[in-house]
Amino acid sequence: MFQVILIGLSNGAIYGIVAMAYALVYYVTRVINFANGQIMMASVMVTAVLTMHQVPIPWAILAAIATSVALSLVVYFIGVGPVLRFSRFSFAWLVSTLGLGIIIESLAAVIWGVGSLPFPALLNSKDAIIFGARMPWQGVLAVVVSLFLIAAFELLRRKTLFGKMGTAISTDPEIASSVGGNVLAYTILVFALAGLLLGVAGILVGPNSFADAYLGEGFGISGFVALMIGGVDNPSGAMTGGFILGILQAFAVTYINPQADSWFPFAVVVVVLLLLPNGVFTAVGAIKQLTERLGARTAGAKS
Amino acid sequence: MSELTINQRRPFSFKKLAILLFLVLYLVLTLALAHTSNYDQGLFLVGVVFAILALSLDLVAGTLGLYSLGHAGLFAISAYTTTILNVNYHWNLALILPFVICVNGVLGLIIGALSLRVSGLYFAITTYIFTLLVTVLIQNLAITGSYQGIPGPPFPNFPSSLSSMGTALVWACSFALLVTIAIIWSIRRSAAYPVLLSVRDAEPFAASAGVRTSRTRVLVFTLSASIAALAGWAFCFLGFLGPSDFSGTISINILVMVILGGMNTLVGPIIGAAFISLFPVVVAWNPLWQEVLFGAIFVFVIVVIPEGIVGVFNRAVRNIRAHFSKKPPGLVEPTATVATTAAPSIEKLDEVFTSEFALEARHIDFSYVPGVPVLVNVDLVVRRGSIHGLIGPNGSGKSTLVNLLSGQLSPNAGSIILNGHEVGHLPAAERPKYGLMRTFQSAAMVRSITTKDNVSIGLYSKYRWILSRSLIWPFLPSGHRDGYSIDAGARAALARVGMGPGWARAKVADIPHGVEQLTQLAAAYVGTPSVLILDEPLAGLSAGEVETIAGILRDLSSSGVTIIVVEHQTRFIFSVCDEITVIAAGELVKAGAASDVRADSRVREVYLGQ
Repeated sequence: MFQVILIGLSNGAIYGIVAMAYALVYYVTRVINFANGQIMMASVMVTAVLTMHQVPIPWAILAAIATSVALSLVVYFIGVGPVLRFSRFSFAWLVSTLGLGIIIESLAAVIWGVGSLPFPALLNSKDAIIFGARMPWQGVLAVVVSLFLIAAFELLRRKTLFGKMGTAISTDPEIASSVGGNVLAYTILVFALAGLLLGVAGILVGPNSFADAYLGEGFGISGFVALMIGGVDNPSGAMTGGFILGILQAFAVTYINPQADSWFPFAVVVVVLLLLPNGVFTAVGAIKQLTERLGARTAGAKS
Repeated sequence: MSELTINQRRPFSFKKLAILLFLVLYLVLTLALAHTSNYDQGLFLVGVVFAILALSLDLVAGTLGLYSLGHAGLFAISAYTTTILNVNYHWNLALILPFVICVNGVLGLIIGALSLRVSGLYFAITTYIFTLLVTVLIQNLAITGSYQGIPGPPFPNFPSSLSSMGTALVWACSFALLVTIAIIWSIRRSAAYPVLLSVRDAEPFAASAGVRTSRTRVLVFTLSASIAALAGWAFCFLGFLGPSDFSGTISINILVMVILGGMNTLVGPIIGAAFISLFPVVVAWNPLWQEVLFGAIFVFVIVVIPEGIVGVFNRAVRNIRAHFSKKPPGLVEPTATVATTAAPSIEKLDEVFTSEFALEARHIDFSYVPGVPVLVNVDLVVRRGSIHGLIGPNGSGKSTLVNLLSGQLSPNAGSIILNGHEVGHLPAAERPKYGLMRTFQSAAMVRSITTKDNVSIGLYSKYRWILSRSLIWPFLPSGHRDGYSIDAGARAALARVGMGPGWARAKVADIPHGVEQLTQLAAAYVGTPSVLILDEPLAGLSAGEVETIAGILRDLSSSGVTIIVVEHQTRFIFSVCDEITVIAAGELVKAGAASDVRADSRVREVYLGQ
């Protein structure tokens, strides 16, 4: 049981980081970058290929993360920026980001072949023992990184002017720019940050997934499902959505059947979408707000 | 509408000839293709299937602005259902077709009803998830052959006496496409078409004309899903069905077909479908490079030619025309003065109203945010046949009150009685039935169509079954009749505000703001309301146009229409209105005859600044 939760957490952390990359970009630009899975795949492939060519692992990792950041920016400058220029509310980005995802994936297959490449084991070779259950240190690292990301994001958003301006831009870019927010700089930065997260996610998942040009699609979809569970508009919720998805998936594999991980997430997300269209956490927030309002109303009636 | 039928003309026989010519050409082409090799037929039929899908998608994406990514899922469900019912359960293929159409329709209804509550993005996401879910199901179920897929059923051939017709499957697919084209063509020619565009671009305007916007969206998506069933049914005869034929990418492919060809056009989706489905055959490269190029097409279409091939073509044609014609295109005969002589008079209201008041709103309370009241215990009582002014300083709650009266908002407390019916709880789209029409402060109409078509939306609640009849509109005698009478009614309404045929042909995007206001007025009174609410009808008008409006209001009033005007120009209000209600800071200041209100010291203090 506890073992299952641990497996779920370490997978869920990856989904969560990918979901957070979606959510960060959406938070500021109202765009969902459907090339995220492929951007993550690029990080995995670059690390694998460089270490195969005897590049020291730290350098390979740095190059991989840099590749993901660069690709995320490419997606912005080619597929998103020009589209947003004519309308902030059209869904044209949906097609252009998916198109770029296809390009990245197919180019990777052209360059490195369609087969699977080995990936360095990193921390996967040793297990941590937590309350009697085993978890590879790579998984522990993934969970730690994702918890750190939630904390960092919330600190930035709540405590710094930088983060507050991000919130302002997400609410209304025109007003934000009229009070001195540089919308373009934020947009580029947020794409770079998402690229960074995806690069890190690639390094974290690589030892388990190995390097395959087509692994992006699956993680892209899982991350998207996590995003739906957590709420599109809520980056830390998206991360938590990843954990929820990971744990549910681990339970489904253990208790339903080994293939259940392919369909179970969709069943979950359909239920979530139907019942709570704005995600679990937004719904919780809305309930909280509602009770506060009711409280305010009764208080007002008394006074 | 009796006097409008005088204007009825016989339809041009030229148009009928063109349709006949098209049909003959279509049948000849089909016959020719039915005799080509199996390989060529396979290519052609895939194109036909995707043309049906693209047309059905454009119905929601183009006309309603709803980017469905569920079409691959709907396509899959109809294809697999047809195959399984025929191969495993031996159902007749002709029986399966209506069955899968119904199945898809019901699915469309459910998805639409559940997802169109929130926003367009939510709809895109829900439909995308739907397709992913369907893909996962067909990958995992035994009956769908999981990842390997299942062979489709064979399509019966013609009996030997008809063997000269060639392959029967070509005829079946071709006929399915023809039906789809006919439906889309009918809708685009029907009175429902401007209405659909207004649901997309000008929702408050649509609702105030009596269009139930959410229901319309769900119904059109249902229709689109049903048409997609035709494609699925036809597709399963083409060979093997596998999960990769129906993945989320296919949904995007269909959307790219629509955008590449040209959204919201009839031929665009067909061109796009032909291009995208023939692409892998024409560009026979290394499949990986082919994928790269395919992705590049996605990006290129979206970033460089978002208006599509048809859009580029139309723009080129316009440019060439503009180059050769001496007159600049767009506006002709700008005569925004009243042409009352030519205009037919507005019909007298034939309903008999017992109550002295056309509209009574009493004890209205409203707040957007709990605890911050916007209107407190406001009364607005409007005598039948009068012109009633509603004035107040900025932020006093005038527009909010008007939105409550017309149903854009609903009050927290109080009653609104319209022609003797309590309407406070009814949505905006229900109120035209009780005789209420309105205009909006900032003109909000469909910019891509003509002023005449915009005005015709105002007649929506006057004709029954516009949406359902639109499927076969040009083939219905009642479609012709109502089409002409709507057309004539809209033209007459425009003429009455001084807009001649030249203005009626102009697109709203091309006309000046003042003329747009006049168009809005025409759209509101074309449906012969008994109560007409005008929210700042003079904003941005010239002095001459203000006189036009004053004349029209007096004219309407003398024919029995009750009018409520929200305005800032007090000179206009005091000269035109019989009675006036003044509100300030969400509270009633004074209501009564214009002269009393003008003399009132509190009104002078809060509003006239004296």
